[in-house]
Amino acid sequence: MEQHSQAPIFPSNKGYLKRKKFYNNVAVFFAVTAFIIGSFPVFHIIYKAVSIGYKYLNWRFVSTLPTGFPIGAEGGILNAVVGDVYLIIIASILAVPIGVGTGLYLSLFGKKRTNSFLRLLNELMIGIPSIVWGIVGFYVFSTNAGPGFHFGFSALAGGLTLGFIMTPIITLLTEQAVNQIPASYIEGALALGATKWQATRAVILKAALGGIFIGILLGVMNIIGQTAPLLFTNYYNTGMPTGVTGPGGAVGDLAMLIFIYIHEPSKILHYKAEAASVVLLLFIFALDLGLRLINYLAKKFIL
Amino acid sequence: MPENTKEDKAGNIAVDVKDLNFYYGNYHLLKSVNLYFKKNSVCTLLGPSGCGKSTFLRTLNRMNDYTEGARLTGEVLINGKNIYDKSVDVVELRRDIGMVFQNPNPFPKSIFDNIAFGLKIHGIKNKDFIVERVEKCLKYSGLYDEVKDKLNKSALSLSGGQQQRLCIARAIATNPSILLMDEPTAYLDPVSTSIILDLINSFKKYYTIIVVSHNVQQSGRISDYSGFFLDGELIEFDEAGNFFTRPKDKRTENFITSRY
Repeated sequence: MEQHSQAPIFPSNKGYLKRKKFYNNVAVFFAVTAFIIGSFPVFHIIYKAVSIGYKYLNWRFVSTLPTGFPIGAEGGILNAVVGDVYLIIIASILAVPIGVGTGLYLSLFGKKRTNSFLRLLNELMIGIPSIVWGIVGFYVFSTNAGPGFHFGFSALAGGLTLGFIMTPIITLLTEQAVNQIPASYIEGALALGATKWQATRAVILKAALGGIFIGILLGVMNIIGQTAPLLFTNYYNTGMPTGVTGPGGAVGDLAMLIFIYIHEPSKILHYKAEAASVVLLLFIFALDLGLRLINYLAKKFIL
Repeated sequence: MPENTKEDKAGNIAVDVKDLNFYYGNYHLLKSVNLYFKKNSVCTLLGPSGCGKSTFLRTLNRMNDYTEGARLTGEVLINGKNIYDKSVDVVELRRDIGMVFQNPNPFPKSIFDNIAFGLKIHGIKNKDFIVERVEKCLKYSGLYDEVKDKLNKSALSLSGGQQQRLCIARAIATNPSILLMDEPTAYLDPVSTSIILDLINSFKKYYTIIVVSHNVQQSGRISDYSGFFLDGELIEFDEAGNFFTRPKDKRTENFITSRY
């Protein structure tokens, strides 16, 4: 080429250069505003609950049973804390194996077409209103009439019902966690002659453990705030349970306690309900930290 | 095709592929591939991206089994036995055929466990044997001196080239007779590449090695036999000397002289 053509001119648009900074500021402003509006309720709830219920926020409150008249006017909320532990354990025993198993099946073993159907079913299960689960739990576990398990209003009936609410959440999160793992890990294991289960156990579960724990955590957080399913399957117990089924098998529950106390025409109970909601928040916080710790330790030592 | 007497063929052939067709859905990916690989030789399969050479490699240890919509006709005979026969145990087959992938994919485990994994999944529990074997494989792959003090460190802390050599060590831990390599040097720097090519050359006496590559220069350095794939067809397959200097097909010549 003899003739050097001129270097291409980069067309400048001065007006847009100014405006684009403005647009950027608008976007930042919008994001910050959205964050403030979104996080306001959280801080408000904590502030409100603490400022009203602070009088009762002490160890005695969580370590004594409610007494007095109306019940709860004196004493604490030990029945509800213990009841929540019962419900979480029972629900997890049902939901964790089924949820994790289904998630693994969906992401590793199943056929494409059945999987999309199962996935739809799973999403449907997440969408089922909790009151409907309550009715299902009542007919299947609680009622003594007709076919069913005849557990009565009890921790077992309530816990299993909550377990069914928890299962699809764990399934969803497990499947997503496993899908995040690079396919090359799985291929590498299979190419060495591993069966799918060996590859899953040795490589996949370890890599996906964090995601699975988040699924369990979300499931537990979801059920710990549920009242509707418990209305028909467990209701409430002001004392300690004597078993997990039949008469005396019902347990207290923090969410249920708040629901009941707020309905009582008593200032003290209203204060105690606010204090209980702070305890519930702390409970969730502690669970979060606990599961994270388990996750960390499991990653380090077990697998 | 290299000349061979019948007698020679029976005893000296590691892998014999007969009229292999591979379909993905309605897409005809591999078209009537016929070739065989001699024992203790290095064979490279060349071709542009998407020509089906990787797919072909994966048919040799049935890694396509899990691909949905994949269909296959024809035979792959390894030691005289069709691996697509119903009686073949895929697990045992894959123990006998090691595979190294394009990007280094060590497991998120310690260096030691990465190699021990292949032994453990085949039911070997003898700790002394495993320790000895891991050491041996690391020595074979030339990694031992670099990692002997940190066998319990995560394999992901190694460099890319070291990771790939670890993957090779992992592949030979199960004592295979055939090694498949899917562009093993594609993501590596020249020094690591050179080490791995030397490794392939020295492994010839133990294994039959089949390498997929699109780098003509590197292939020329290691090959005993070479094949050229284009659009799912095996255009040419010959001894490396002939293949790289006197290709019979115009398309092969274009490819190896980069006039593509």
